[in-house]
Amino acid sequence: MKLHVHLSPDWILDTEMREYRQSDEVDFCIVGCGAGGGVLAQRLARFGFSVVVLEAGQWHDTEDDMVSDEAGSGSLFWNDLRIVGGADPLELGANNSGRGVGGSTVHFAGFCPRLHPSDFRVRSHDGVAVDWPIDYEQIEPYYQTMEREYPVSGPACYPWGKPHGYPYAPLQAGSAGQKLIEGCVNLGIPVVAGGAVAIPAGAVGKRPHCIQRGFCLLGCKVGAKSSTMNSHVPDAVAHGAEIRTGCMAFDVPVEERGLVRAVRYHRTLNDGAVIEEEQRAKAVVVAGYAIESPRLLLNSTSSRFPDGLANSSGVVGKFLMAQAGPVVWGRFDEMIRQYKSPPACAMTEEFYETDPRNDFVRGYALQTVSPLPIAMSHLLISEGGVYGEALLRRMQEYNHYACVGVLGEILPDERNTVSLHPTEKDQFGQPVPYVRFNLFENDRKLMAAGIARAQQVLVAAGARETHAVNRYAHLVGTCRMGANPRESVVDQWCRSWDVPNLFVCDGSVMPTQGSSNPAITISALAARTADWIRQEAPNGGLTRRSGSAAHA
Amino acid sequence: MVRNRYPRADALEQRNHWDDATRRVVLDRVYNIPEFKHFAGQRRATLETLCTHVIPQTHRAPERRVPLAPWIDDLCEHEVEAFRFDDMPPNHVAWEWGLDGIEQTAELMFDTPFVELERPRQVAVLEGIRGGTPPGEVWQRMPAKRWWEFVAVRQIAGVYYAHPYAWDEIGFGGPAYPRGYLSLNHGDREPWESEEVR
Repeated sequence: MKLHVHLSPDWILDTEMREYRQSDEVDFCIVGCGAGGGVLAQRLARFGFSVVVLEAGQWHDTEDDMVSDEAGSGSLFWNDLRIVGGADPLELGANNSGRGVGGSTVHFAGFCPRLHPSDFRVRSHDGVAVDWPIDYEQIEPYYQTMEREYPVSGPACYPWGKPHGYPYAPLQAGSAGQKLIEGCVNLGIPVVAGGAVAIPAGAVGKRPHCIQRGFCLLGCKVGAKSSTMNSHVPDAVAHGAEIRTGCMAFDVPVEERGLVRAVRYHRTLNDGAVIEEEQRAKAVVVAGYAIESPRLLLNSTSSRFPDGLANSSGVVGKFLMAQAGPVVWGRFDEMIRQYKSPPACAMTEEFYETDPRNDFVRGYALQTVSPLPIAMSHLLISEGGVYGEALLRRMQEYNHYACVGVLGEILPDERNTVSLHPTEKDQFGQPVPYVRFNLFENDRKLMAAGIARAQQVLVAAGARETHAVNRYAHLVGTCRMGANPRESVVDQWCRSWDVPNLFVCDGSVMPTQGSSNPAITISALAARTADWIRQEAPNGGLTRRSGSAAHA
Repeated sequence: MVRNRYPRADALEQRNHWDDATRRVVLDRVYNIPEFKHFAGQRRATLETLCTHVIPQTHRAPERRVPLAPWIDDLCEHEVEAFRFDDMPPNHVAWEWGLDGIEQTAELMFDTPFVELERPRQVAVLEGIRGGTPPGEVWQRMPAKRWWEFVAVRQIAGVYYAHPYAWDEIGFGGPAYPRGYLSLNHGDREPWESEEVR
């Protein structure tokens, strides 16, 4: 079919996209086209595999579909119903959920820090959570590759985790970011301007430079900010992958020999009609992120897998982690105008690691965030439901606020879950996800410490008063990878322990989350999985599980 | 009283510097106010009065007031509900129950319909809901605090701060594509932005 999609003002993806028949047994059917699925599709297509990506949403044409307007940007987010509960229910549907080609990378702020080496050994070092089945060194080359392919900008000498440099120069920080920098400097806290952010200070390929518009969280109309929609998916299409939009998967049937051979999905046509289709494939990759991936697996029941596909461990849907994301704002006498410049522009990871002086383990990062007016009003309202003149007066200080986001590590807990709701159904008649979330003691202490630190930084920068509300971002963990099939859903290659030709390739495989925004880690894991597939598929590695493949 | 701190701010005046898609969305919001379809009678009257409390606009000239209630009505007609707390009903039902609940609370506290109460008594009703333990059967089946924050105030404020007149009030410049920004330091304004008068 003919594609005609703006990816920036003068870069139109104007090309013929290969289309497969449902009866074609393609090599890979990938469900979801975000940070994981988009990169994996590009890699597999380049390696010569036939690839169909089923994406529930649509292409986001930067000129016609994205708008420079907060209230008008709802279509970027996953807006299908989810029920939330638990002691600390998560708000969904905005910052933590994308829909359409590029997934959440279309509307992420762009922070792309790596995990630290310690993140892979939390159980060994801190006696909590679990270790990853891999070490930092095994993902490091993929971080380096992804930082060039996104690309990611940042300082030449990034001091935290395993120190490294970034290949592209960062943008100048706006006034709000300079407050974070100033406060940290005044306190002697190491801080980097430019962060690790997927917006370089110049043009890259067909993508122009940033115009400092500040609407990053509502999609980049300029195409300066990286998303897999502009970094990897065009290359996937050029190498023969089909991105089939408007397709919502609901079942991955398993056949007698214990392999999967197709994905069943509902396809919404241009006229709004919904039809049921089934794409045959030699292997299936589930890449729908931490809610939709476990939902699809749990919904794919069979006599072989009565509790959901690939769920012999019973772990699918468990150990959901949101990242702690309290927002702290300070009011300054001077003008800030936080709406200018990308919100992601400065950060410190000085408090990332476990510090024995703390009464909690693990840590947090401080990053710039700059809410637009509606988001800012929602923060203010969170302080006790403030309304009326009090709300209007506080909102009139909008240009005097600088905000700092605390990005903190919440530990995995079996009681934080994604399950199928017993009664509520979606527009296709499928059970909606039920997302239950609770904070535990370490989480609360860590968040309080992060808030206190952010307030200290803002005061050191000259804030007259500070306020804070708890927020959450980045959902991971519900199909965790691990070293053995009893306690995890996938192995270190993101391959199901139970089903040799089934993969999960998104944030849900992360056993812990660190205090790093997960997109670059998800993409790096996808690239690593692709390399394993390239090596093992010709030897029949996708039809059986051999000891050597499992523990390589 | 809310003062006009940005005397030269006029986001709408910059419309010719916006891209087509954005201009369509924002101008449609400003000039095409939807008719009431979902709420009528007492519920509609309660909603309109509630809006004057959440976002009071008496400081504005009548022609510069932002219509709020019609958009809440529209929201209930074209529901997009990305998530729902497991102790809440669907969003449009939450609106119906909440508006009925305001009435129940007003009747139980003052034996008078909410819209007929003097303003301080209306405030007392709303403060009861905001505080989380207002009288009324509705509030036994729906948490009042949750309704107040997530349904009433957030959604009404969301309508307000989507409007160019509200942007002018807080000194936000509005859409910024394709022009972008060049004055990035020290909170500087662009030539087309208003200075602040404190």
